[in-house]
Order: sequence, then C-alpha cells, then structure tokens
Amino acid sequence: MSIISGLEDLVDETISVITNDGRNIVGILKGYDQATNLIMDESHERVYSTRTGVEQLVLGLYIIRGDNISVVGELDEDLDSNLDLSQLRAQPLKPVMH
Amino acid sequence: MLPLSLLRTAQGHPMLVELKNGETYNGHLVNCDTWMNIHLREVICTSKDGDRFWRMPECYIRGNTIKYLRVPDEVIDKVQEEKRIDRKPPITGRGRGRGRGDEAGGRGPPRGGGRGYQEEGGSRGGGRGKGVGRGPIGRGGGRGRT
Amino acid sequence: MLFFSYFKELVGKEVTVELKNDLAIRGTLHSVDQYLNIKLENTRVVEQDKYPHMLSVKNCFIRGSVVRYVLLPPDGVDVDILHDATRREARGG
Repeated sequence: MSIISGLEDLVDETISVITNDGRNIVGILKGYDQATNLIMDESHERVYSTRTGVEQLVLGLYIIRGDNISVVGELDEDLDSNLDLSQLRAQPLKPVMH
Repeated sequence: MLPLSLLRTAQGHPMLVELKNGETYNGHLVNCDTWMNIHLREVICTSKDGDRFWRMPECYIRGNTIKYLRVPDEVIDKVQEEKRIDRKPPITGRGRGRGRGDEAGGRGPPRGGGRGYQEEGGSRGGGRGKGVGRGPIGRGGGRGRT
Repeated sequence: MLFFSYFKELVGKEVTVELKNDLAIRGTLHSVDQYLNIKLENTRVVEQDKYPHMLSVKNCFIRGSVVRYVLLPPDGVDVDILHDATRREARGG
C-alpha cells in the first residue's frame, strides 16, 4: 500500500536522483527509510551545462537527506547507454522553491 | 539497509557534511541520533563559495539542516557485518508481539473494491558500472555551486 | 486523507505532475502514499529539450513535498463524489 514499497524495487538498482538544489546524482540505491533518506553507493553527479557536454563527478558513498530529494528515477540502463552525454547541452535544473 | 544505520556505523570515521545553506563540514563523526543530529570532531568548515575555511575542535549539527553526507566507501561493508553479528535468536515466551500485515486502514471514507498495490514484475539484470573510480574523501572545499 | 483517497482512485490514469522546480513530468499514475508521494510509470518530461535530465528514466518516484500541481485527466474527477467526501471531511470524518 505505502509507496515506500515502491522504492523497495529499486534497491541495488541504478537510480537517478534529482535533488532540491537542482543536482542530478546517479548511483546504486542501497537503502532508504520513511523520510526518503537514501543511501547511494558508487554515486556520481551529472553536471549539465549549455556550453559543454555533461560532466561526471565522482561522489562515492552518500547519504542524501529526504527533505532534499525531488525525484528518484529508475535508470533504464539500455536507454542510458544510448545517450551521448558528451553531446547533451542543457541548463542546470532550477532549485526547488517552496 | 537504513540510512541511519549506515550513519551510526560511520562513527569514528571521517565524513563530509553539506548543509542546506551550502556550507560543508569535514570531520570525524563522534555520535549521531535518530534525528540525524551529528557531533563531529576535528572539523574544517568551508563556506558556500568554497574560499573561506574555519577549523574547529568540535561541532554539533542539527539534522534538519543537512543536505547530504559523504561517507567513506568501506563503511557500507561494516554495516552488513554488524547486522550479521547482531542477529540473535528470538526471545520466546515473553512479550506480546506485534501484529503484522495490518495496514492503517479502517479510517477514512469507505471505499469499495480494495485494490492491491502489486509490484511491477520482471527482474532486471545486466552489467552496471559506468567505469568511474572512487575518489578520495574528506578533501576540503565543496564543488562550489552558485 | 481525502486527497490520498482521491489520488488512489486515479491510479492507472495519465497525469502530469508539475514540480516546484518547474519540471513537469507526465506518466501513468502507479501509486500514491499518505505523504502524497507519487510513483509514475512510462514517464516523459514535458519540455524534454529544455530538461534532458531524465531521458533515461521511465519510472520514477516523486516526493510529495516538491509537487506544485497535478494535472488530471478530464474525466478524472467525479464532482458529486468529491463534494460528498469534502463535506464528510469537513464534518470531521
């Protein structure tokens, strides 16, 4: 019933998280709790820019606080491997304004 | 695995904490609680823009000001070890036990035809890993974002 | 609880969720919980050229706290039932 069981399916899968400050973090979901706090392993940030392609920064093991999370997406590995990140240009996402 | 169990396991380890206001704190975790309030020792605080630093022997951070914590990679393996050791046989013959599988139903307007939330099926396998190495942890200065 | 119950009725329908960072995500409503966290399937971002950040995401979980609007299907609301439920809620259940 609770959607939190929706994140259960994503444990040990690669996820793409959008945080409230507009960052995009990709990594393996290792755990979560009621407050949507997340454990992400082998994570890296994808930095979008309008001038160059997407840059990837290595972050490692992260605990992200739930109140800083906007979206948790299941990363489709096939779709993702077909993306040419070096050719993607985009504005960074705006931060969430409450 | 619960995020707070990982955090508890990280006691004694170095970590980087970024606050919602953009400041980062590098230090060794002394203690934490279930609100994610944390106590750090030997701390270097870095301003949001990444060009001012403060050293302090210790500090306390209120949990709800935290954006994220960066923990050394090896800590995640220690959580599992801890769990395995902690697993005790259940104590029998005491206590009342708690009911299970009982959703918080029974309140709210009655609705017909209970609809289950089935999980989507189909397992996914396949290689993961983008070939990114792990960097060292605990270097001062966040990636300044303005 | 009213909106929780209401959104549960919308499961399986196409909705567009607009976030407080202006991102709008369209997809099939898979589930909702008490915090009004929303799970969508078969998602696409409405302005995909401007926001390519979720190109390889087809299923996602949206935290209720960052939702600004949920755009409903035209047939997604039975006004009479909603009226009744609202009055019931106003009376305190």
